[in-house]
Amino acid sequence: MIFGMWDAVYFKLGPIPVDHIIVTQWVLIVLIGLIAFCSTRKMKVIPTGLQNAFEMIIVWTYDLFGQIMSKEHVAKRWTPLLSTFFLFILVSNYSGMIPGSSHIEGFQAPTSNWNVTMTLALITVFAVQIAGLSEHGIGGYLKHFVSPMPAMLPINILEEFTHPLSLTVRLFGNVLGEEMVIAFLMFMVPFLIPCTIMALGVLVGAIQAMVFALLSASYIASATSAGH
Amino acid sequence: METAGLMAIGAGIAVLSGFGGGIGMGITGAKAIEAIARQPEVGGDARTLMFITFAFIETLTIYGLLIAFMLMGKMG
Repeated sequence: MIFGMWDAVYFKLGPIPVDHIIVTQWVLIVLIGLIAFCSTRKMKVIPTGLQNAFEMIIVWTYDLFGQIMSKEHVAKRWTPLLSTFFLFILVSNYSGMIPGSSHIEGFQAPTSNWNVTMTLALITVFAVQIAGLSEHGIGGYLKHFVSPMPAMLPINILEEFTHPLSLTVRLFGNVLGEEMVIAFLMFMVPFLIPCTIMALGVLVGAIQAMVFALLSASYIASATSAGH
Repeated sequence: METAGLMAIGAGIAVLSGFGGGIGMGITGAKAIEAIARQPEVGGDARTLMFITFAFIETLTIYGLLIAFMLMGKMG
């Protein structure tokens, strides 16, 4: 245990050790699923309440990603994935902020563990490759490695590895850094002062969720764009 | 000097990467505000690009933070 990070393994699912972070993610997935199910059960033409809120999120993310991708069919195909990234990361970032959560095992934000963010980044990488393949075909996909000239080949290949690395480190570093600062302030001044950092954490959580989705969108956009 | 002390100094130096990142972010934010003030109709585009640029700058800062965390973890 380092700085309030637990590493308890509850049970093993085959070769995979299931710890509190995985259980937290299951709970979050069920939570998002339940809210989505409840809001779309009786859909109306003029939305009210939950359906309204969900439609607002979906339309907003669709506009945002569509603006980056600039190709209608690409945006239509990949927005569901990116919106899911946004929602899941947002809820994950906020799960560490439930009052009293720092005293209960399992309420640590899952995104403050690099395994989780690495998984999300790997999904993005595969999505980028699939998007490039389905847009340009095999020839066009291989050709983009040697564009604009063959000398750029190593850099283009290196890029495919640095994208997931930077996505991973950014999300996990931000969330972990903020949690560490809160933990350290709680240790020094247990009252009121950590609240200011937590208020900042609400902002950072939303911005990081958006940044992850935006960067994934821009990677997909550059893989599917004509000039690359 | 003992190793733990040197590690602590190293962690402190690693976090100095926030210095350059802060300057970069300041310039980015200032230019984005300037652009939006001059041409309010490109507000959405400018804001999106600003956030993407922030993310790229921030990554470099976070690399420093990561090194500091790793050093602190080694210190125990």
